[in-house]
Amino acid sequence: MKNQFVGFMLFAVALGIWCLAPMSAVGQSLTAKTAATAAIPDFTGVWQAPYTPDLTKALGHELPYTPYGIERFKNVIHADDPASYCLPVGPARGIQAPMPFQIVQSPGLVAILFEYQRTYRLIYTDGRGHPDDLDPFRWFGDSTGKWEGDTLVVDTVGIGDRTWLDTAGHQHSDQLHLTERFQKVDASNMKWSVTFNDPKMYKEPFTVTLPLKRQNTVIMMYSCEENEKDRGHLDTAKQSEKPGETK
Amino acid sequence: MRLKSPVILTAVAGFLFAALPVFAHHSFAAEYDSKAGITLKGVVTKVEWLNPHAYFYMDVKDDSGKVVNWAIENGPPNMLYRQGWRKDSLKPGDAVTVDGFRAKDGTTTASARLVQLPDGRKVFSGSADDGGPGAKTTR
Repeated sequence: MKNQFVGFMLFAVALGIWCLAPMSAVGQSLTAKTAATAAIPDFTGVWQAPYTPDLTKALGHELPYTPYGIERFKNVIHADDPASYCLPVGPARGIQAPMPFQIVQSPGLVAILFEYQRTYRLIYTDGRGHPDDLDPFRWFGDSTGKWEGDTLVVDTVGIGDRTWLDTAGHQHSDQLHLTERFQKVDASNMKWSVTFNDPKMYKEPFTVTLPLKRQNTVIMMYSCEENEKDRGHLDTAKQSEKPGETK
Repeated sequence: MRLKSPVILTAVAGFLFAALPVFAHHSFAAEYDSKAGITLKGVVTKVEWLNPHAYFYMDVKDDSGKVVNWAIENGPPNMLYRQGWRKDSLKPGDAVTVDGFRAKDGTTTASARLVQLPDGRKVFSGSADDGGPGAKTTR
């Protein structure tokens, strides 16, 4: 009888340990996950960068053109700017625009909702890589991101060759590869840096850094086509059939 | 076309270095001539508070008394709204003075840098330095 009782108690204790162990593990896992989540900055909200229509002003010097790149820039036709045609402006120029954008964070995804032309970017932070076929992602490209402490590091490829880097007419080829860093400074300030790597157009990568400030506003409507009147006045004498396309 | 007073073509050096209007939608240089500064005095005939640019139209008399209607391009409504302007801040019948830049194509179209009412209030335009409620110069 006594042996049976001891055996029962040992069984009960073993059962208890067996039941509690995984719970404890789950608890540890949850704690670890909460800690990891807590370490990710909260960028949710409306932000804006200083309007940057000319990257050379932000850099303080000319862009490092290749011979091909300088030829393209010297012969730029401003009427070709895709923005004049209400076409998408691409991932970085959306942030350089004189309008705010809203960042929305969810597990595995960061979305940037631009007031400018009411367009958006999706940045996948779930560990996936870029797709093999990038063609369906032209204009804004495919963006993946990873958190490095207080910084979201974003890698973008597949933008194509029809967006422009800025309003001044700096262009890019289909080899453009962007690396952006959204770094928390404090609750209302971020540092955004973007490295443009396009060996066909620029002989070395260059990095532009702009401050982003939280805005006390909401995203409003902006439809480029609502009452478009500029196209009729543009100097279109030498205009291309497909604005912005790299020849 | 020949335009004389009260349409004053300005060639003040400082004017050329003034901030150009902030346009998200197109290159300023593709449409306007930063060297063709112009001052227009007249009366507002119509206001279009619409994207991608707020426009208003104004009648301007030339020396012979002939009335010419000008199209004045301003910043986008959202940008103007955040500076404190509303769609009725400028109304048909208002007398205005506009400092701006002429379109390169020679039409009576101008990009506004500064829009001023007779009482001195500066309205619309959308330039960073237009003196509006949210403009940098008044902060």
